[in-house]
Amino acid sequence: MKWYGKLTTLTLAATLLLGAAGGGAATAAASKLSGKIVVNGSSALLPLTLQASNEFKKLNPKVRISASAAGSVTGPQAVRKGIADIGACDWDASTDVPGFSKFDGQVANKVAVIPFAAIANKSAGVSGLTTKQLQDIFSGKVKNWKDVGGKDADIVVVNRAFGSGTRVNFQMKALQGTDFITKGDNYKEVKSSGDMKTAIETTPNSIGYIDLVYVTDKMTALKIDNVAPTTDNVINGSYKVWSYGYFMTKGQPTGATKAFIEYIQSAKFQNGSLKKLKFIPLTAMK
Amino acid sequence: MSKSISAPARQQSGGVPAGIGRRMRLRLAHRSFRILCAAAAVLVSGVLLTMLFFMFRTGVLTFQSVSLREFFLSAEWEPENDKYGALVFIAGTFMVTALTLAIAVPISILAALFLAELAPSRLARVIRPILDLLVGIPSVVYGYMGLTLLIPALRTVTGSNLGDGVLAASLVLAIMILPTITRISDDAIRTVPRKYIQGSYALGATRFQTVTGVILPAASRGIVQACILGMARAIGETMAVVMVIGNTPQLADSLLKPTSVLTSNIVMQMPNVPFDSTWNNALYMMGFLLLAISLLMIAVVRLLQKKGEN
Repeated sequence: MKWYGKLTTLTLAATLLLGAAGGGAATAAASKLSGKIVVNGSSALLPLTLQASNEFKKLNPKVRISASAAGSVTGPQAVRKGIADIGACDWDASTDVPGFSKFDGQVANKVAVIPFAAIANKSAGVSGLTTKQLQDIFSGKVKNWKDVGGKDADIVVVNRAFGSGTRVNFQMKALQGTDFITKGDNYKEVKSSGDMKTAIETTPNSIGYIDLVYVTDKMTALKIDNVAPTTDNVINGSYKVWSYGYFMTKGQPTGATKAFIEYIQSAKFQNGSLKKLKFIPLTAMK
Repeated sequence: MSKSISAPARQQSGGVPAGIGRRMRLRLAHRSFRILCAAAAVLVSGVLLTMLFFMFRTGVLTFQSVSLREFFLSAEWEPENDKYGALVFIAGTFMVTALTLAIAVPISILAALFLAELAPSRLARVIRPILDLLVGIPSVVYGYMGLTLLIPALRTVTGSNLGDGVLAASLVLAIMILPTITRISDDAIRTVPRKYIQGSYALGATRFQTVTGVILPAASRGIVQACILGMARAIGETMAVVMVIGNTPQLADSLLKPTSVLTSNIVMQMPNVPFDSTWNNALYMMGFLLLAISLLMIAVVRLLQKKGEN
């Protein structure tokens, strides 16, 4: 901690000196930034926002950042209402997605890559499914594991509640837009990624989906069309079930907000802290 | 410290021969204390009225786009398709509360009778503090127990695939409100005057006759009070229920079918709902309903109680 504090002081001093000397105009401008940035929205992106704001505040002590989170949709809504400067959202809210219409006049700034995985309880005896099989299971057409190569047991479908960002992305990317079942004896909904994890780990013959970072060895992360859900497969383009995380802003971002988003998009943050939080850097996706 | 300073001061002013100053001060003190008490009472009822008003004000906007008939009589809750039938949740709340009370009340009253009348006093002295501790356990802990112990057990016993549903929720809630009802009923039974009980025995009544004919009727007011408190806790409980009910908007035609209640649906959907949408208003309306239902139930129980007295 101590050396880090010293380093920051040194950096600050150096920046100030540089600024005074008239060199490195950009750095000088950044350190003089002031203002308040309010971030609202997706809870999946909150760890990233908090980490970035801690680092950003050290570089720009005059900028105040307050971040809070609920569901994804509250992000772009708060921006539209003028409550927040940045609305964190798991999907591109400037376009229509299943269940939510687009937010006019908002710009989607990519900040990270989030992979998702279809997961099943170990008892199901299945290690992978095709896209068609996933669609059939989540729409309720296939009800028994034996029809998709597993044991003879009812499939228990666990879904996230309507409005969840993970649900929107899974529906778009893994199910290619087909509908979920909504009723049945073997169907339940959970309210968060943590609840999803518990449900799949403890419910025999269950299937669900989750952010890749939540996957544990107490569950099976299903291969989709024979491709395993790994960071490497997302980067090399063979695993398709991932999405960008977005910071929505009203028009193009300006001032402190712009600098903050640029900081998150910078190679230093993307390859450092962002990777440590198990997101995939934007630069990795080519 | 403050005592040693104020005591001589009081003596001094009390030593003034004319009693008028003292009377004035007393009157002032009395009056301001009365105003303070009245203000507290107004505050308490004011908070309730304000809550009712605000929930209703937002909730009633639902009916701009949804008919009363649809909201109360349709079981189709699909906000994404503009279908706002809340019957599933209303029915679910009534079912869960009724089943919870059906399980918890008999057990609680028996336990309270045991504690107050039958148990050796040494044993009762051990059990009472334990029950008091149980009352204070946060509901989320009961929810976790339900999720990790009760549901797997239900799966094995019933052979159902999920185990979530009305039965699981009611069992968790019943366990949760058992100590509340037991302890308050216990207190009520213990306040029954000894002379009633002794009188009953003197008339030759058996222990069973004394319990059913004298103790329970005499303590009924307190026992009903206990049930109201237990019910109020059960009907508004959210965290414990949301973990075991299954959260699926479908009418439960079996005790083991995943369903949803007012509280669990509100907490599931509130974070994801667009502001100022019919969906948002409908959730507020459901909150208002929850308030109204619990007030109504309390009123009904009070009425029944009055009838019993006559």
